[in-house]
Amino acid sequence: MRRPDLPSLVGGIALVAFGTTLLLDQVDAIDLRFGSFAPIALAAVGATLVALGLSRRP
Amino acid sequence: MEATVPDQPQQPKRLYRSRDDRVIGGVCGGLGRHFGIDPVIVRIAAVVLLLFGGASALAYLAFLLLVPEEPREGEPPPPGRGRSAATIVAIVALILIGGPLLLAAGLAVAGILLPLAVLVLTGLLVWWLVSGEAPGGGAGDIARRSALGVGVLLLCFAVFVGGAWAAGLGGGAVAAGIVIATGLVVAVSAFAGGLRVLILPALALAMGVGFISAADADLRGGVGQREYKPASASDLKDRYRLGVGQLVVDLRQAELPEGDTPLKMKVGVGNALLLVPRDVCVASTASIGMGGVDVFDRDNGGLDVEWEDLPSAPENGRRVVVDADVGMGAFEVQHERRDRWDGRHRFRDRDDDGTDVNEGCLRA
Repeated sequence: MRRPDLPSLVGGIALVAFGTTLLLDQVDAIDLRFGSFAPIALAAVGATLVALGLSRRP
Repeated sequence: MEATVPDQPQQPKRLYRSRDDRVIGGVCGGLGRHFGIDPVIVRIAAVVLLLFGGASALAYLAFLLLVPEEPREGEPPPPGRGRSAATIVAIVALILIGGPLLLAAGLAVAGILLPLAVLVLTGLLVWWLVSGEAPGGGAGDIARRSALGVGVLLLCFAVFVGGAWAAGLGGGAVAAGIVIATGLVVAVSAFAGGLRVLILPALALAMGVGFISAADADLRGGVGQREYKPASASDLKDRYRLGVGQLVVDLRQAELPEGDTPLKMKVGVGNALLLVPRDVCVASTASIGMGGVDVFDRDNGGLDVEWEDLPSAPENGRRVVVDADVGMGAFEVQHERRDRWDGRHRFRDRDDDGTDVNEGCLRA
């Protein structure tokens, strides 16, 4: 079976999670502030970068 | 009979960029190997130099362009142009010494050179992240990859601004939906080769929407400077609103009734200023996403600022109860307009001693 492209998989999941958080804020289900936005954004970027790094390992 | 080996002219040891010990372009790995130093030490030195004026960015770019990649096993060495390691190091040192001298002299070329080096390196890094193509090859390849990376960066910036603007105008839910849909497409595509190129623009869109959502900045309500001077309580609106710019509500000429007069001010990005007569007490609450509050020289600032100052008015006194909501910017309450705007900068009068107080609440 073909191995999935790790950065695309992790980046895609991170985007879905990030987008869902934003959507919940837009429909007033949660109140997004900088205190919670910054960790979420950094976690999404960080997860993608880690996946990119791991995919380059032989 | 003994075979004689003809004397070979000794080739100078050439400086190469490393293929297998690289973080960006193999420069530090190559330098470390050439001079017999641990490449980690070279990298640490490069980062430290970057913090002191960015000299290593310039040097890194020069090495990237001047030093060839090491040949693969079995490949002949690349045709050199007669540059030895010593020549290359001398050229880079000249650039490093000359750069700051030019900067000190204030010449425009130096002001361009360093930002250009940072831009090229950023472009290479971005293109590497997006495409997986590590910086390598000749100067032409490096220039192409850097240009593509800068292009992606500009695209992402445009998407960020577009997302922020859309969220500020009420289209945040649609933009969030686009982020989710893109994420699903990218995740599913992982099983068919992947679509890495979509990740960065989608993240930029999410950042733009998230930034405005976190600041709770509402950009509806127009752009520019709005100043309201109601003459009486009946002229006073219960809510003043501006998208981007400066909103001024001047109550100094208004005949306010005894008791509380409620007032709401909402600015997406910019400055909300309330001017009141000295005999009026002001009770204020404010919510600031990013920025500050300054109520009669009592201030607070930062991210997610919640302000509450609710003094009581004297008996039969007049009190304005203001509730401000600013996404990014400042909310200020003053008796006199103390800040001036010269078209580019805000500044205070020289004779301003900065001791304004909420006088209306103190009077008997």
